Amino acid sequence: MPAHKDILPLELIKDRGSLHPINHMKDSIMNLLISFGFEIVDGPEIETEEFNFDMLNIKKSHPARQMHDTFYVENKSNLLRTHTSPVQIRGMLEKKPPLAFISGGKVYRKDDDATHLPMFHQVEGIYVDENVSFAQLKDLIYKIIYSLFGEDVELRFRPSYFPFTEPSAEVDILSKEGKWLEILGCGLVNPIVLENCNIDSNKYSGLAFGLGIERIAMLKHGVTDIREFYKSNLDFLSQFK
Amino acid sequence: MKIAYSHLVQHLEQNPSIEQISDSLFQLGHEHEIDGGIFDMEFTPNRGDCLSISGLLRDLAVFYTVGINQDIFSEKINELLIDFENLSESICPQISFLKLEIDEVPEIYKDSLGDYFLDLSLNKNNFFTDISNYLSYETGQPTHCYDASKINSKLIFHEIEKNEEFETLLDKKIALSGKNAVFTLNNEVINLAGVVGGKSTSCSVNTKTVIVECAFFQPEAIIGKSVKYDIQSEASHKFERGVDPDCHDRVLRRFIKLVSEHANIKDMSIISYKSKDNPITQIPVNIDKINQIIGINISEKEYLSYLLKLGFIVEEGFIEVPSFRSDVKTQNDLAEELARVIGYDNIATSEISIPKKEKTNHKAIENKLRFFLLDHGFYEVINSPFVSLSSEEAIKVDNPLDSNREFLRTNITNSLVDNLLFNERRQKDSIKLFEISDVYSSSNGISKKRKLSIIASGRVGLNYEDFSKKINKKYLTTLFQEILPNEVFDFEILSRDLLDTKIKNEIVTLEVDIDRFSTNILSFKEISKSPESFAQYSPISDLPSSFKDISYSIKDYSKTQELQDLLLNYQSDILKNVYIFDYFKNEKQEEIKIGFRFVFQSKKITLNSAEIELVYNDIVSQSLRIEGISIPGM
Repeated sequence: MPAHKDILPLELIKDRGSLHPINHMKDSIMNLLISFGFEIVDGPEIETEEFNFDMLNIKKSHPARQMHDTFYVENKSNLLRTHTSPVQIRGMLEKKPPLAFISGGKVYRKDDDATHLPMFHQVEGIYVDENVSFAQLKDLIYKIIYSLFGEDVELRFRPSYFPFTEPSAEVDILSKEGKWLEILGCGLVNPIVLENCNIDSNKYSGLAFGLGIERIAMLKHGVTDIREFYKSNLDFLSQFK
Repeated sequence: MKIAYSHLVQHLEQNPSIEQISDSLFQLGHEHEIDGGIFDMEFTPNRGDCLSISGLLRDLAVFYTVGINQDIFSEKINELLIDFENLSESICPQISFLKLEIDEVPEIYKDSLGDYFLDLSLNKNNFFTDISNYLSYETGQPTHCYDASKINSKLIFHEIEKNEEFETLLDKKIALSGKNAVFTLNNEVINLAGVVGGKSTSCSVNTKTVIVECAFFQPEAIIGKSVKYDIQSEASHKFERGVDPDCHDRVLRRFIKLVSEHANIKDMSIISYKSKDNPITQIPVNIDKINQIIGINISEKEYLSYLLKLGFIVEEGFIEVPSFRSDVKTQNDLAEELARVIGYDNIATSEISIPKKEKTNHKAIENKLRFFLLDHGFYEVINSPFVSLSSEEAIKVDNPLDSNREFLRTNITNSLVDNLLFNERRQKDSIKLFEISDVYSSSNGISKKRKLSIIASGRVGLNYEDFSKKINKKYLTTLFQEILPNEVFDFEILSRDLLDTKIKNEIVTLEVDIDRFSTNILSFKEISKSPESFAQYSPISDLPSSFKDISYSIKDYSKTQELQDLLLNYQSDILKNVYIFDYFKNEKQEEIKIGFRFVFQSKKITLNSAEIELVYNDIVSQSLRIEGISIPGM
């Protein structure tokens, strides 16, 4: 038996807290994009229709602008941003190309079910320079997806539609169960949007992409009900240390 | 929209399989699922032109040889005399009416009309409405059928703002409000334009004379109406996305043809109103620009050959966009057409190199604070901003999801109080939470503040040093100021008087503007780190938990670690947590006393004492096998 003085005192195991898994995921993605050359820009969650829709070529008739899709505030004078794209508009108005911005944060839409919430998080990026092409956009998206899900993941690009990009694409990854899962939307910045931001669309072109943080966090952590993220249940939060 | 494979393939010369068509549709950007022989299509909102057999075939023509067999009535038709006035030509710049009388209503539908109802398992309404529905499926153009005998005075189209009850042809009564584009007869609404017709003038199974309305409505006037009035409407789905303004004559002549295949037409007449010509979009041929946009190198000849197959017209260096493709206006739109045909996945990547910027320390103070709090056992939470009124400066949401939460919060603390009570109800006795968020108010316009809010209550920690200490204002103030001496922490005690709880622990809160913290905080060296991987979530239980404590006496100190390893790593489906809540080394008696707390909870059932005892006894039994260890009183 060793002498009593040789025995180390019992280790004190202190409980440390944890970052919220959504913020952790957002930070991880933004740090990845910073390593690619993007810089962070911030903007308000309460926006004008001009920045949230008009500048992004979202016409007055677009369904997203309806009261059943967008939260309006203070007698429709403003709205809760439905995406983080208006932040990039503000960035493009402030700086001249070449520019590469990312913005991340809360966005709001009138949804509420097991896979949609009225508040969720996005990270969006935009890169504007001379001769930016769809082939380069694909290269960037491959790099993002491979960094997030590993190089073995199978992905596909599908034509899609966003008023602010043209051509537009949605990107799916193949799950272990053999099901295609939508991961992000992307495209070349619509020249109308560049012109709205006083950028010469004959000289410059741009790419843009957006990821839903909850969607990726659900996949990475295996969470099936999005509402779990926002119950603030310590049994849930303590799993993400 | 549901489209039968058989209705497509009969027009495709190569006779492709359903899987081949499915692959082609995906490549072109038309998402769908296949159920039996039916494609359940989901089109992007810019492709209203594809909402029909003809529309899909126009796109598939780039891969297959398409032979559309949709005969039309090609002879001259008399002009219809109808008392009609269009008071809102800006909303409806083009409208046509066809009046048609038959001698007998057919009982059996033939050919494509019969297949439509059979293959898609659809219910029939009445002959003319059935033709109209089929025609919408075949051509993409909705038409509306009035029983001609019920149109007995002047028909007016206009946008009106009038509160009026309107009964649809589906027997649903809706209260019209706000601005609506409508058709009226005798000052009564008989048709909510582009959405649904009214019961008062609808066709029945006995209708032999019909007036068919075929119109182009500006999408802005139709959009949102079906949602507003809770009406499932195929027509509004199409009008909202834009229909072909140049198709009326062909569609109505097709209507006549289909009727003539089923009944003897006694009389017919037609009239068209057009307030302005449809603009023609022309885009210069510029293959260099197209290649630059996509990042490929394709010949002009190949590029134009694809566009021709898609229905574009190439003339004298310009590409003329067909009337059904209102979504195509720019070189980028044309580039997307080409990219779809090539296949997005077939476009090779080109390495991107974004110039690296100098790294900025974005939100450095905020992030330092987060890790400081993590080090002291605080969990980060995120709450919804929607609340019931919390202050006069709260911003009101015009259209909240929940009428009890129609304001934006002006503080974070109230959300954290809810979080605290939620966790206390789940038997948590050490709760430390924080949230950092923008908070908005309507003081001096809309103002934004970024705030940190903290709440803490219960035990300081679940370890032997902190277990018996309770969180209070003095404890937190001292702790935080020892580590961050240059910062001011104005902790407050929150009264439990108004809270729905019997727990007495002191609740300590703090809410502070982030910009009140100084850069001194950046010198703090945190222990906690961001997780390097993403932990796999294990579903949690809302069933009640219970705990049992065991106090061990250890005479042979060397066995302490063995006991700790055994108990902290003990595995059981119902053992949720184990921690050491007590530790005392009695030098005089040469004895260590360690208290372990075992928390039991099942994910499936509420545990009874026998189920807990079973595991508890095994823990006791295994631990007592370690020599030099005893459980006093056992």
